[in-house]
Amino acid sequence: MILLEPHNVIIQTTLSEKIARPSSLDVQFVDYDNVRFHLSTPERKTAVLLSMSIRCWGDLVKYGALDILKREYGSLLKDAAEPEYNVSLEIDLEQVPPEGEARESFIKSVSLLKRNALAAPFEHAFRTQKELEASGSGQGELMQVHYRDEEAIYVQASADRVTVIFSTVFREETDRVFGKVFLQEFVDARRLPTIQNAPQVLYSNRDAPLEIRHVPGLRDTEDIGYVTFVLFPRHFANAAVSEGTISHIQLFRDYLHYHIKCSKAYMHSRMRHRVSEFQKVLNRAKTEVAAPAERKTVSGRTLVSR
Amino acid sequence: MDSFRKIDIDAFDEDVLLETELYDADPRDPAQVLDDAKAKAAAVRSSLSKGDIPGALTAVLDGAPYGPNVDEAKTLALQTLVTILNSTKSSDVSNIVKSLSQDQQDTLMKYIYKGMAMPGWGDVSGSVLLGWHEKLTEAAGIGCIVRTMTDRRIV
Amino acid sequence: MSNTLRPYLSAVRSTLTAALTLENFSSQVVERHNKPEVEVGGSKEVLLNPLTISRNENERVLIESSVNSIRLSIKIKQADEIERILCHKFARFMMQRAESFIVLRRKPVPGYDISFLITNGHTETMLKHKIVDFIIHFMEEVDKEISEMKLSLNARARVVAESYLTTIILETGSFFMYPTSIIN
Repeated sequence: MILLEPHNVIIQTTLSEKIARPSSLDVQFVDYDNVRFHLSTPERKTAVLLSMSIRCWGDLVKYGALDILKREYGSLLKDAAEPEYNVSLEIDLEQVPPEGEARESFIKSVSLLKRNALAAPFEHAFRTQKELEASGSGQGELMQVHYRDEEAIYVQASADRVTVIFSTVFREETDRVFGKVFLQEFVDARRLPTIQNAPQVLYSNRDAPLEIRHVPGLRDTEDIGYVTFVLFPRHFANAAVSEGTISHIQLFRDYLHYHIKCSKAYMHSRMRHRVSEFQKVLNRAKTEVAAPAERKTVSGRTLVSR
Repeated sequence: MDSFRKIDIDAFDEDVLLETELYDADPRDPAQVLDDAKAKAAAVRSSLSKGDIPGALTAVLDGAPYGPNVDEAKTLALQTLVTILNSTKSSDVSNIVKSLSQDQQDTLMKYIYKGMAMPGWGDVSGSVLLGWHEKLTEAAGIGCIVRTMTDRRIV
Repeated sequence: MSNTLRPYLSAVRSTLTAALTLENFSSQVVERHNKPEVEVGGSKEVLLNPLTISRNENERVLIESSVNSIRLSIKIKQADEIERILCHKFARFMMQRAESFIVLRRKPVPGYDISFLITNGHTETMLKHKIVDFIIHFMEEVDKEISEMKLSLNARARVVAESYLTTIILETGSFFMYPTSIIN
């Protein structure tokens, strides 16, 4: 599995199961970026409540997340969210579409809850870009989404493009070095003729890009990196395309870190293998000592040599 | 406050072994050693210009400076020796080391290790020294290395 | 095998063979103690001259010998930041398993990446020439392993970057061909 999927598999499988066989339910689980979900049936077996808690909810609401969720989920969206969570959907299992493609796409759309919430600043930026393009110049507002404790996404629209900047923290030296290798490849990959149309990627270590340099509270330590994606209008030309772009872009940080971890795991298994090979070579050096016959004293005790 | 615990009382033992007791000191005066080294460096240069590598090697290996207080002479001797080693064709090395006496071979081995201990110094080149080391070990055997390790008269 | 690696390894082999003449030797300083003199460093008459074998500034081996033990420290080639971190990880991984490696020292000597400590106890229970073989084998393989790990990291990074960017274009509909490097 090279790419990550934007939807939540647990929501998808649990919902399909419960639609087929309703039963009482109470599960809590997490997604990327410390997003917490709670699936429960507080009142009756056929009314499933799905609640989500996301760190940057305040930011997202500011950029129109509620509108998007209303558009996607309509009447499912509850006015008041479950306590401790930011947003809740109530799904009446008796009202779901009939079995088949319609039901599949319904379930899928519910499992995209996190993706849809996070899509707000991007959709906002794409709209702003269209307006700016019409008026000819100007720059949109710099939107900040603090989706993790120390990391944020910055989105800004201008007349001919939308700039997306991720700040990402590498917790340890190895991550930092591996991250650099990966990001360098992102920058270099565009030289390939086949993917020249991909968004332009820029990477800087430690120094923040010009667009966000004025933002207060930026760290400039060695362990922080900034990745800039420059999206051109062709990347959000129509609804289908912009949906795909949003789904991928917002998972970028998770994708990067996921692969860094995978590489580390792979290195580890290699080292394990290599070290056991070394062990075998060293064992060849050992002389074979025949186990001395067990000696006993007169009283029947065993002699142990130390 | 506990600094007295860290005093190495063995150093004050009257039977303590001193560096100087481990080997016989060079009978020559440090200044004279330096003069000798300089004279040898000049002799080696003239031998090298004639292409007489064995002669140059013998000159520098006999009476090599060792012991304390002669650092300058040691550096000069190493420099001279490295020049000889670098200017020898690798096909000749084998015959040259065979023609040396055992003492000369041991001293040469000391210099090779000394050169390898300071890579990047002057014209010291790892591959040349490793080439000589290999040929010398073939000619003089492992014993030569053991003598380098055990001989306290460090060049 | 490159042409300077062979003489380098053969120099290490002959020096190590020469140094591995160890015998049981009780401490002269503390009664009823028997410790590796090369680690204690207390009595200089039982320590021998340390020898260095170097290929260049970044690759060298230090062999310190004494009457009952020798210490061999290796500085592994590290050309860039990635190799440095991989080498560090690998050495650390091995040293955490020093228990089963018997001759491995738990901590490298300052200035080196990994150290071995061979005592008379080891030479008595193990075949001397096989210990030498092990050290040489280690030196050969560790360079290879680190460069292979580096290559695999780069290859993975490339595939990851390409497939990520490709999916974005595929969805924009502006390109329909997969780069060949992903298929492979």
